[in-house]
Amino acid sequence: MFLHAIGFGIVTAAVMALAAVGFTVQFGITNILNLAYGDVMTASAFVAYASSSAGLSPWWGMVVGGLFGAVFSVLLNRFLYTPFIRRGARLFTMIIVTIAAALILQNCLQAIFGPDSFSAHISAGATVRVLGMVFTATQLILIAIAAVALAALHGLLRYTRLGKAMRATASDPELARNCGVPTRWVIDGSWLLSGLLCGLAGVALVTELGSFDFTTGSVFLIPVIAAAVLGGVGHPYGAMLGALVIGLASALEATYFNPAYQDVVAFGVLIAVLLIRPQGIFAEVASQKEVAA
Amino acid sequence: MSLAWSFYISTVLVYLGVDIMACWGLNLQYGYTGILNFSFIIYQAAGAYTAAVLTLGPNTTGGFQQYIGGANLPFPLPVIAGGIAGGLLSAVAGAIALRRLRSDYQAMVFLVISLIATAVVTSDAGLFNGPAGLSVIPQPLSGVLNLSLVGYRWFYVGLTAVICLIVYWFVRRITSAPLGRSLRAVRDHDQGAAALGKNVTGLRMTSFVVGGVIAGISGAVLVEFISAWSPGAWLYQETFVLFAAVIVGGTANNAGAALGALLVPVAFLEATRFLPQFGPPGLSEALQWVAVGLLTLIFLWFWPRGVLPERRRIIPLPGLQQARTGLQRPFDYEKTAGTR
Repeated sequence: MFLHAIGFGIVTAAVMALAAVGFTVQFGITNILNLAYGDVMTASAFVAYASSSAGLSPWWGMVVGGLFGAVFSVLLNRFLYTPFIRRGARLFTMIIVTIAAALILQNCLQAIFGPDSFSAHISAGATVRVLGMVFTATQLILIAIAAVALAALHGLLRYTRLGKAMRATASDPELARNCGVPTRWVIDGSWLLSGLLCGLAGVALVTELGSFDFTTGSVFLIPVIAAAVLGGVGHPYGAMLGALVIGLASALEATYFNPAYQDVVAFGVLIAVLLIRPQGIFAEVASQKEVAA
Repeated sequence: MSLAWSFYISTVLVYLGVDIMACWGLNLQYGYTGILNFSFIIYQAAGAYTAAVLTLGPNTTGGFQQYIGGANLPFPLPVIAGGIAGGLLSAVAGAIALRRLRSDYQAMVFLVISLIATAVVTSDAGLFNGPAGLSVIPQPLSGVLNLSLVGYRWFYVGLTAVICLIVYWFVRRITSAPLGRSLRAVRDHDQGAAALGKNVTGLRMTSFVVGGVIAGISGAVLVEFISAWSPGAWLYQETFVLFAAVIVGGTANNAGAALGALLVPVAFLEATRFLPQFGPPGLSEALQWVAVGLLTLIFLWFWPRGVLPERRRIIPLPGLQQARTGLQRPFDYEKTAGTR
């Protein structure tokens, strides 16, 4: 029972980590809390669904979904967020802009695909026992995808010129630009990267859940935000840790108490963090951006 | 006026009154104090629920709906209790989120609070009767007045108008008083306000709780009229409509907020009701939400200060003449978003 819950929690955490890292990296670099993130996830899942309905293999559908998320995020930033920022929109206004974007996107999805629930194309596959935990083959692949994607992100941020430029932009955009970092391209790159993670996470999420509708991503955004805040918003490793904690906690809660309250666990964690340590576990980025003091 | 029109117009007028009150409450928080309260609707829902329960009478076990408490209070009391409930819930949420968090971060927390509140209420039938909510709530004074069905509706329109006037008087007292000036100072430059000895968190909390009380009252007025309450009617999108109203009408301007309530939730959303329904069910509603989102974006882009902008408050002192010209934009202080 316990091991089963842990196994389930790891799968949830893997998907959540993908999403939370994308959310938090993008915040760290661009300083925008993008609340349309969950709906971009849903949109990517629908694109993957449509592509595999058209005959593509479901795993290729995941690639298509990831690419869609990446391109869509860049366009969202280029044609909606950046123009508002150029006009001198305050943080205040930007959050309304992102919520408006979320509302528009979600309802466009409803208008196109209708309110029905869809079932994902990937079947669960054979069951595999690992250390007493039971996984399906699909779940193991999802965990592997998340691990590879996050390791690749780590490598990118740590060892490449682009990653260095991103970290420089995150810590001080003015200084980075004065030192010759093309911040505009770096910001585009960060939206591309976070969009890729967002799209992958969207497809992984619906694969794990088995069925989805136009609200799936925005509902999932609650634990994603909680994971990002717990780990210290803007901090990728913090987001991974936060996702692991929240994934395991909500799986244990669902096993031993009422499964309907899974999201409430994430919410409880969020409240506790805000009361005790609002800047999260890894506080560097959060404190530097004066998110909480 | 035919009977059907009389019914319809009285309903719209009550909704207008409720929306105007809600917009004043939201405007106090958002326009005057700079709190992006994306959970505004749940304080309205809490007020509505309290008022409903206090009019429904004691909860009989084995009845067709379950609720907490239950009493049979005479008319103005349930509405007042609704206001108190909204205020109390605001105080709890404010204690969590109103500490020194950045404004957009705060907004995100409020949004999550709103989403979770909906999830909890709909998933647990024991607590608030689940997604079914409450129904058959008796209308206030309907037994005493002995009016016809339509007559009662017009009586209720008058009642709503009176409550609106009371709320307006109250909000106006705050915004035109030194307290209102302090709130605007907190909004424009919280560190400056703190340096001048203002208790920033306390002022934010005051505005937040007063807004919550107004939300509760407006919810109570609505629920006593439509005599039903269901959690599905209080989703975060509804808060967004109120934001759209305040942004379109004019932030930090009470007349503007009222105008916004008339323009967005009433005129804009009611007008589309008369368009022919098309496509599968839910399509026209979805497009309505898209339209509200686009309307907000368009206003934020072209007329960010709304139809009736905030009055520029300039103190004419000879020495300040020069400083005045430098202060063209009232919001120069706060850091702008993102990375340019």
